[in-house]
Amino acid sequence: MNTLGEDRGRMLRTILAMGSEGASRALSRWLGMDVRLTLGEVELVDLATAAGALGPPESLVAACAMGLTGGLGGAMLLCFEDRDGLALADLLLRRPVGTATEWGEVERSAAMETANIVACAYLNALAAHLPTGEGAGLAPTPPTFLHEFAGCLIEFAVMGQAAELDRVLLAGTTFEVVGSGDLGWTLLFVPDAPALASLSAALGGPA
Amino acid sequence: MPNDPAAPEVTVAIGRWAVVAAPARVRTLLGSCVGVALHDRAARVGGLAHVVLPDSRGDLDQPGKYADTAIPALIADIERVIRGKASGRLVAKLAGGASMFATGAENPARNIGRLNQDAVEAILAALRIPILARDLGGEGGRNMTLDPATGKVWIRSPGGQGREI
Repeated sequence: MNTLGEDRGRMLRTILAMGSEGASRALSRWLGMDVRLTLGEVELVDLATAAGALGPPESLVAACAMGLTGGLGGAMLLCFEDRDGLALADLLLRRPVGTATEWGEVERSAAMETANIVACAYLNALAAHLPTGEGAGLAPTPPTFLHEFAGCLIEFAVMGQAAELDRVLLAGTTFEVVGSGDLGWTLLFVPDAPALASLSAALGGPA
Repeated sequence: MPNDPAAPEVTVAIGRWAVVAAPARVRTLLGSCVGVALHDRAARVGGLAHVVLPDSRGDLDQPGKYADTAIPALIADIERVIRGKASGRLVAKLAGGASMFATGAENPARNIGRLNQDAVEAILAALRIPILARDLGGEGGRNMTLDPATGKVWIRSPGGQGREI
């Protein structure tokens, strides 16, 4: 599948937006504030374009990386620049934003717990709108914390698609606190090639 | 690190390759992909291929993506630049092939770094191109830079100091 037809693209966007809504509710409860996740473009891009999905490929980003288990394979990444990720840790630890200046054990743990909550809620919402086969048991693996070149993270995450496809699909979601603005976090959902084919078939397109 | 910060640098995107002559340098970012640096010391010409997968299985649309098509394409471009045969003149240095995090159980990314390494080494052996240095495997990304003036390759890891191989 090297193109995303208009109908199939719209349906995929609709179902991923439901994932974002589910994650919005869970994250709002977790942080104790009204947080909204907004799904960005859902499109197939070539590998070189994908490498810039988190900003300049050589920039360093913090990320909580998770695989998918259950009916779909692939990866999810919750990514942030250091400042934005450390601000998350401060929020969760009820400290003034700016208190954390480096990724210690507590800060990493806060980021990974948040990633787990967001990914579980996203996948639960997705599973609820997929046929039983694809949705059954869909869950993230425990998160791995990484401090990595943005381009390398993307490269690894898309490998499950790149092995079989010339173009890859990335679904990026951004976060904002309602009334306060962008949090600077990005959630990437990257199904592997078989999962993309399953999603496509489930949405009525050719596998 | 390279001692001429003003030297032009060519960046190689994933699944592509590039050839430069000194004083220019060539670099790429690597995760599970393998970077293949080939160097002609006499001509002070070098090239870098960013190999994504081991085997093209006959797919010729993206030659830079696969080890079995990228390495011949890289050599052909070097021969164009030096205007002659590269046979017996080239040496190689390799980097990359990391396994950065667990993905889905069936995801080939789990082992693709190792498969890329094996494919690249087998192809270079068949072409009788000696491998002078390797910086392979592990769990982190790499920024790889080749200086064709010297054949030196620098590797930088996230947040770490650069090292020469």
